Amino acid sequence: MDAKMEDPVAEVSTSEYTVAPSMAAKMVEKSPYAMLKESKLSVEEIVAKMLSLKKDDNSNPKLRELVTQMLLHFVNLRQANRKILIEEDRVKAETELAKAPVDSTTLQLHNLMYEKSHYLKAIKACKDFKSKYPDIQLVTEAEFLSQAPNEFKGTSISNETAHNVMLKRLNYELYQRKELCKFREKLELKKKSLLETIAIRKKFLSSLPSHLKALKKASLPAQNQFGILHTKKQKQLHAAELLPPALYIIYSQFMAQKEAFGENIELEIIGSLKDAQTFVRRQASKDNGISSLQESSRVDDDVVDEEDDSQRRRKRPKKVAGKENVETSGIYLAHPLRIILNVHDDEVSESDPKPAKLVTLKFEYLFKLNVVCVGVEGSDQGPDNSILCNLFPDDKGLELPQQSAKLLLGDGAEFDESRTTRPYKWAQHLAGIDFLPEVSPSLSNNEATKFETGKDTIMSGLSLYRQQNRVQTVVQRVRSRKKAQLALAEQLDSLTNLTWPSLTCQSVPWASHEHLCFLHKWLLVGSSHNLGLSLPSVDLEQQCHDSLDDDVAGRAGTSKEEVEVGIVKEDGELPSLIPEAVVTDDKSNNHASGAKHSAKRMTPIPKSIGLPIKTVRNPSFGRYEEDIDLMLDSESELDDSTKFEMENECVNPEDNSWVDYGVKEYDLVMTRRRDVQEGNVDLEAKVRISMEYPTRPPLFKLSLCSQSPGVKSSSIEHPVWYNELRAMEAEVNLHIIKMLPPDQENYILSHQVHCLAMFFDFYLHEASQPSLGSKCNSVIDIGLCNPVSGGLNARSFRGRDRRKMLSWKDMECTSGYPF
Amino acid sequence: MVMDVTNWDEDEYRNTILHERGFQYRTIFRAIFAPSSNPNPSSDIVVSASSDGSVATYSLSTILSSQEIRNGISSAKQVLAAQPNCFLQAHEGPAYDVKFYGDDADALLLSCGDDGRIRGWKWKELEDFMTNRQKQGSHVKPTIDLINPQHRGPWYAMSPISENNAMAVDHQGGSIFAAAGDSCAYNWDVETSKIKMVFKGHSDYLHCIVFCKGINQIITGSEDGTARIWDCRSGKCTQVISPKRDENLKELSSVSCIALDASESWLAYGSGQNLFVWNLLASDQISRICIPTTCQDVVFDDNNILAVGASPMLSRMDMDGKILSQIRCAPESAFSVSLDQSGVIAVAGYGGLIDVISQFGSHLCTFQPTSL
Repeated sequence: MDAKMEDPVAEVSTSEYTVAPSMAAKMVEKSPYAMLKESKLSVEEIVAKMLSLKKDDNSNPKLRELVTQMLLHFVNLRQANRKILIEEDRVKAETELAKAPVDSTTLQLHNLMYEKSHYLKAIKACKDFKSKYPDIQLVTEAEFLSQAPNEFKGTSISNETAHNVMLKRLNYELYQRKELCKFREKLELKKKSLLETIAIRKKFLSSLPSHLKALKKASLPAQNQFGILHTKKQKQLHAAELLPPALYIIYSQFMAQKEAFGENIELEIIGSLKDAQTFVRRQASKDNGISSLQESSRVDDDVVDEEDDSQRRRKRPKKVAGKENVETSGIYLAHPLRIILNVHDDEVSESDPKPAKLVTLKFEYLFKLNVVCVGVEGSDQGPDNSILCNLFPDDKGLELPQQSAKLLLGDGAEFDESRTTRPYKWAQHLAGIDFLPEVSPSLSNNEATKFETGKDTIMSGLSLYRQQNRVQTVVQRVRSRKKAQLALAEQLDSLTNLTWPSLTCQSVPWASHEHLCFLHKWLLVGSSHNLGLSLPSVDLEQQCHDSLDDDVAGRAGTSKEEVEVGIVKEDGELPSLIPEAVVTDDKSNNHASGAKHSAKRMTPIPKSIGLPIKTVRNPSFGRYEEDIDLMLDSESELDDSTKFEMENECVNPEDNSWVDYGVKEYDLVMTRRRDVQEGNVDLEAKVRISMEYPTRPPLFKLSLCSQSPGVKSSSIEHPVWYNELRAMEAEVNLHIIKMLPPDQENYILSHQVHCLAMFFDFYLHEASQPSLGSKCNSVIDIGLCNPVSGGLNARSFRGRDRRKMLSWKDMECTSGYPF
Repeated sequence: MVMDVTNWDEDEYRNTILHERGFQYRTIFRAIFAPSSNPNPSSDIVVSASSDGSVATYSLSTILSSQEIRNGISSAKQVLAAQPNCFLQAHEGPAYDVKFYGDDADALLLSCGDDGRIRGWKWKELEDFMTNRQKQGSHVKPTIDLINPQHRGPWYAMSPISENNAMAVDHQGGSIFAAAGDSCAYNWDVETSKIKMVFKGHSDYLHCIVFCKGINQIITGSEDGTARIWDCRSGKCTQVISPKRDENLKELSSVSCIALDASESWLAYGSGQNLFVWNLLASDQISRICIPTTCQDVVFDDNNILAVGASPMLSRMDMDGKILSQIRCAPESAFSVSLDQSGVIAVAGYGGLIDVISQFGSHLCTFQPTSL
């Protein structure tokens, strides 16, 4: 607008002089705008005139006028402009004035708007408000109407608003709940009182078992008196139920044997019942989950019953278990229960009606290996000397019977030798664990022995089990073994004391023979497992003991040694910590006085201590002989296979190593005193006593030493004697055993020693006074004074091996026949 | 036999043990090779006489092959258990000697023993049994059965029947000579089973006897310490051979074995710890050989003498007594050494062991006969 306005102004200014002053005058009275417009128009007219004038004639006097007019118009224009500006200012001021009230009103309006929205929000919040208990369970309206008493319903419920009804319902609800609370309290009280009565009754009940126990205990003497032993039996039966199947079979079969045949045995189950129960439970849960819960609860009930007497018995099993837990590692874990079997003597002596206890066996079950182990309870001997060893052939108890167990234990591993109980094969048979032999029966030429494997065949195997009389066999074997061992120990004792073992049997010639020789030495030189090794301290002690005995025995003959004997005796009484000192002392004694009393007996200690036993005899061939023995045994086992002419001489030396297991070797020396010139003669015998004594009789190996005066004892084998020694061996080892009456079986060793002594006497006697000259007896019948014709040659030798003949007359032997 | 608690028989077990032990304490008194029809290879069959009265035959090839099957390599030091091909329970007591009478198809196997009998079987029949693999040959009837006479004592007492310790045969003359325990040697006629001649003169029982074909004489060795040469026609003793007495020999040892060489001009006999070599033509003792043990059997091998005694040693000596070799053999005391024509040696003795040694001195096999 400005530009518009200026433009005309500029134009006006340029053509000012064209504006007519008359026009300007007129415009004053009009509105500025109209004036402005008029002026403008006039200006434009003037300018147009001026332009046309200019074209015609530049110097027209009218121009001046026109310019004046123009100027007038310009003035008008300026005036109009000023007026417009003034008017504008005025309008602006007016507008300012009018704006203030408008603003305040607008503010007011805004306030009101805000207020309104706030209220709206508050209203919405109120509307949205939720109750703290949004869903109080109320009885339904219909129920409320029908059941609530009037005081809650009010007079006319139909008229009430929904809200009020609700309130009423709530009230009613409150009331009802309060009532219920009261009722609950009442019940609580009642319950408490009931609990109290229950507690009292329970207390009575729990005190009842102990009363019963007391009664039971009180009845024990009575039970003992009457021999019923109900309580113990009950307990054992209960324990038996917890036994693993293998031990259970042993237990039940022994029990049956005892009850059916009156076998003199006693059975007992020891071990912690609790452990057994946990074991059973664990086993059961492993097998079939929770199904055994019921059983275990029953079992639990019994625990209480057993509690106090396990308390009583705790001492022993605790100790055992504790000890074994340390040494058993995983695989040797034993079932907590064990069976103790007491075997009594079956011959009842008249003096003592109660048979003597022979041996106590302990059966335990290694569940990892599934084997039953047996040991002798309370034996002071090591496991190697156990009487159970080789109770049956090839059963030294080191080899695990089942292949599976063998695999478990690792390749080629044997059963831990240090354990006191061992998995003998017969124990497995007793437990019904029948196993397959290592090689097939056809190969080892077994006559159709049927073996079953696996637990599931146990039941079917039981009839077989009974048919085979396993229990009876084992009991008899154990009994006879123990008796044999007792008898053997007795004989060994007397031999160790260098006295002739006594013989009860008088029907054999050597029993009444007066021995001309005497026992000089009896010494344990080793047992099979430490042969060739240095002798253990026990043996040293034994030897010291022996040497002591020796010297004591020697004292009778030689009073000169008195002083020495004293010394040795003193040494012998020293603690065994210094056995070597004793020995060396002894040795030096011998060396020092060796020459002096060479004519007397020599204590054999230096020889046997210094050298391993094997070297005493011809070493290379000694080994060889052993091999022969082994082969013999193996071959006779295979004896009966006669299918082929081919003999199975496969001789695996290990096959029969069991025979030598636990063999004890003794050194026996018999000495015959002779003239001083001839010197004494020693008959030395190596006696090997097997575990299977007396079934496998002791084996004697003989050699002869003659002591000439001045020379130390030399074991030169007199060639003349060679055959005779062999013949004596054969006689002692084999032939006399066939002659012995069966009841003398346990005394085989004594018989052998006596017989050997008798032979020794005879042979020496013959050697000292050879051929008696005339051997032809002619007889003269004096009454008729006629010589009776004929004669008989008396002989004392016979055969290619020049066997000596002994005639047995009146329980006494003489040499030669006829005599 | 595997026995355990399931099939326990204590008596049987005890018997088994004694039975086993019996093998160890048996003595093989004689082991000889059977004559074989073809000389090459060497004879296969060994016949043994043992102290349990049995005469049994063993086939070496069977024993060796079974050993090889088992072990692959045969080790000489191993003792094999051998079952006999043919087993004869020939005598009541020990059987002391076996001999073959003849070597053709009609050959007899003779045995003598402690019960004073001499028994003979047809070798062909026994061979048949062997090939038929029937081991029990005891039902093969002996074709001859001779028994020593008893001597009369006072009041009609009869002496016990004396044993026969050794035999010699004269196949051409049809005779069997027996060295008997009654100090006599007997000449039996095979055809008639009668005694043709009794050689009396020794003062103690006879240990050994050999027959000299060339001069029709027998030579006997006796317990009395002498050997005697007898003429078979007259029955008279032509010579008493007794060792030249040394001053240190206190007493006479019995003549326990006697051997003739092939030319029948040399005689070797063992007496105690000495072995004497005698030249029959010169009737003189040539050498006296001291051996460490009592001599128990001797045999000539060409110009060598093989001797065994009461030690596990086989000695080979020349005529002068120089020891050529000593071979360790299995029996602790050997009673028999015999030769095959090919030079294989069999040594037998205590322990029931037979050791077969090859001509080169190596052990072929060692076996311990078992009964059935």
